[in-house]
Amino acid sequence: MAGIVTEPWASAENGNASMTAKGSSRELRHGRTAHNMSSSSLRKKSDLRVIQKVPYKGLKDFLTNLQEVILGTKLAILFPAIPAAIICTYCGVSQPWIFGLSMLGLTPLAERVSFLTEQLAFYTGPTLGGLLNATCGNATELIIAILALTNNKVAVVKYSLLGSILSNLLLVLGTSLLCGGIANIRREQRFDRKQADVNFFLLLMGLLCHLLPLMFVYVATAETPAALVSDMTLTLSRGSSIFMLIGYIAYLVFQLWTHRQLFDAQDQEDEYDDDVEEETAVISFWSGFAWLVGMTLVIALLSEYVVATIETASESWNLSVSFISIILLPIVGNAAEHAGAIIFAFKNKLDISLGVALGSATQIGLFVVPLTIIVAWILGINMDLNFNLLETGSLALSIIITAFTLQDGTSHYMKGLVLLLCYFIIAFCFFVDKLPQKQPNGFHMGLQQINNFVTGITGTGGGASSS
Amino acid sequence: MGSIVEPWAIAENGNTTAKGSSRELRHGRTAHNMSSSSLRKKSDLRLIQKIPCKTLKNVLSNLQEVILGTKLTVLFLAIPLAILANSYHYGRPLIFGLSLIGLTPLAERVSFLTEQLAFYTGPTVGGLLNATCGNATELIIAILALANNKVAVVKYSLLGSILSNLLLVLGTSLFCGGIANIRREQRFDRKQADVNFFLLLMGLLCHLLPLLLKYAATGEVSTSQISKMSLNLSRTSSIVMLIAYIAYLIFQLWTHRQLFEAQEDDIDDAYDDEVTVEETPVIGFWSGFAWLVGMTLVIALLSEYVVATIEEASDSWGLSVGFISIILLPIVGNAAEHAGAIIFAFKNKLDISLGVALGSATQISLFVPLSVIVAWIMGIKMDLNFNLLETSSLALAIIITAFTLQDGTSHYMKGLVLLLCYVIIAACFFVDQIPQKQLIGTIVGLQPKNNPGSGFFSA
Repeated sequence: MAGIVTEPWASAENGNASMTAKGSSRELRHGRTAHNMSSSSLRKKSDLRVIQKVPYKGLKDFLTNLQEVILGTKLAILFPAIPAAIICTYCGVSQPWIFGLSMLGLTPLAERVSFLTEQLAFYTGPTLGGLLNATCGNATELIIAILALTNNKVAVVKYSLLGSILSNLLLVLGTSLLCGGIANIRREQRFDRKQADVNFFLLLMGLLCHLLPLMFVYVATAETPAALVSDMTLTLSRGSSIFMLIGYIAYLVFQLWTHRQLFDAQDQEDEYDDDVEEETAVISFWSGFAWLVGMTLVIALLSEYVVATIETASESWNLSVSFISIILLPIVGNAAEHAGAIIFAFKNKLDISLGVALGSATQIGLFVVPLTIIVAWILGINMDLNFNLLETGSLALSIIITAFTLQDGTSHYMKGLVLLLCYFIIAFCFFVDKLPQKQPNGFHMGLQQINNFVTGITGTGGGASSS
Repeated sequence: MGSIVEPWAIAENGNTTAKGSSRELRHGRTAHNMSSSSLRKKSDLRLIQKIPCKTLKNVLSNLQEVILGTKLTVLFLAIPLAILANSYHYGRPLIFGLSLIGLTPLAERVSFLTEQLAFYTGPTVGGLLNATCGNATELIIAILALANNKVAVVKYSLLGSILSNLLLVLGTSLFCGGIANIRREQRFDRKQADVNFFLLLMGLLCHLLPLLLKYAATGEVSTSQISKMSLNLSRTSSIVMLIAYIAYLIFQLWTHRQLFEAQEDDIDDAYDDEVTVEETPVIGFWSGFAWLVGMTLVIALLSEYVVATIEEASDSWGLSVGFISIILLPIVGNAAEHAGAIIFAFKNKLDISLGVALGSATQISLFVPLSVIVAWIMGIKMDLNFNLLETSSLALAIIITAFTLQDGTSHYMKGLVLLLCYVIIAACFFVDQIPQKQLIGTIVGLQPKNNPGSGFFSA
């Protein structure tokens, strides 16, 4: 179908037309994105022999279904953490334990949700499937963000989303490029920079949306009433969120309809064949749908625990809430994609690794973040796009460094190493950062900060002007 | 000269655009001019030919060429209306609006006249003339605002012009071009774009350093000392920026001319109907010169009205002066180029669109030092320190656009993102209601200094 047409310009620029050989892939038909393909590297073929011996047909089907969904991943071993977390909550075990167990339990769930959306895509056709994937790809992050929002923990929302972008851009991409570079040290590693570029425009646009509200706070003079500034910031943030969502919708149209051939990953003929056997849907539509709803509920439950226990965990582990939300939460939430991206980098399929890392970052930056702002607006919570100075600075440099790294369409381990080191530096920065954060429990983070700021101005500002 | 195909000009993108050997070259036309000319229409001289007296005939045909030669002619009516409104003391917002509308066709006509003069002066002087008069409106507004001590308006309008060229003009062009040519490849020569970005980034550095100087100041440094430092730095940087602009002109008009020529070979088909016909000058040198002087005077008059009435218009429309100068003024000032850039993008001639948008942005970013030096001569303390919000918008606009144009191809998504960025920046200045005391004051940069510096240290 559409994939067979090899667009002449798709193979230009990089000159590696022969290597990428775009289009004509089976993946296309099921609306699989790079994100999904990466997760599927964690899957194992279920062994159905034992179940075949069960006499009753209904029971047999049920067991097969269960086995496909529950045991179909290498991360299945982490599933016991889920009941353990629930039991701990009811038995009143200490909160840091609940926090840790819930985080562990979320890891396989994130991978399974992506498996289920892929299964559903077999029934819905490529376009709807692609849309579903694009929306559910970061379901965990979205659910955590919305639950934290309803608990009025605006700072946790901001931190965890920012951390997720940073982790995708620097950690996931860095490890992939590093591992890929070392594994293929004698070979050339190429990728299609057009796909990467689209993500960077959008990320830079997101950065602009974060930067302007931040600047408002600093532009305000001592006489400016704090209420005016927070009002302006809020209006701007809400307006910008709508534009960001428009940008994301256009990106989906661009990715799924008009410029589809840019986003098709390199054809996986050889290495991928072992996985290809699961080409047909292994579970039915309704059962898949039911599982998806069930999993989402479990994710919501665990996220609820995570959000509720994060402060206690922070105190007992002696780590700041910002470090936990920016660094630890995203590592767990992205574990499945992370593993997938590295595996594809090892196989010298950088296009898929990049698609996972950058696609995920763009999705969070331009879909989850503005959506959260709008949900907060509906809930009547004053959440704005103003991440603080340190966070916005880290984000800006991460985007720019990564964008520069991916300019020339080739890769080597040094690029991965630099990105990884940048991540460690940023992580260390938030680890060291002990400035008291009053915001986590506060109602609106943006406001409090302005107050601090304005008192700062009036505190020392007088001295400055008198001298 | 033009037929020398530089080996490196065609490297990189691999698309041999067959540079050089163009008619355009001989008349010193830049992309900027070609774009404006897409708004022109062929005058119909039949009626005039029937007039018996020869002198009258010449005067009338001259008038027709100059006044009626553009599709924007209908907007000329706003000029007498603005003058009338001014002498009868109508509401000042009305004068402001009418003057803005009147400026739109004038900007296009000035570019037409410089092109006509270029037929007589030869390519190099013509190119210089084009490069200088291409944004005459912006320059005149800036200098008049300066004479009225409205330093903030100068800064805002120049900044807005850069933003509008980089994001709005370019964004709409790429977006429309991308939609119109959705199945075709859209390519451009990135070398030309890159030269502009070096200069824009250099300009950014010059704006950034005085800004940072204020923030670096500790409590003990006296305000006057900081403003003196910032002023000295700004004036020195301005001289350096002007030197860079001169070097850019030499680069563009003499040494690396072939980089800046638009795709020539295939221009002919799409472009023939409009341009090739008016290959010969339609008006005489002195008449063109007189028209140019006259138009400049009218522009000056209207700009004077605009500058004088901007505060009242801001009050009565409920929009901040920042928003009017950053967003509304440049949209009007750039309307002609804007339309041209979009038309060429539709025809898949991105090189011309880029030449217009980026060339204009570069030129204006180098008008800023010119106004600093003019202010210096007039004894006004204007520095290069745009405020924090403005500088960061500029920085991100430059960086996003530079990234967008890195790979030498385009699609509608790029245009859309640039456009959305412009809308977000516009929304930001629309929302921004922080009182600006600086407008009337002489020293703009000074006021915001006290707070963030101390804010940093106390926080």
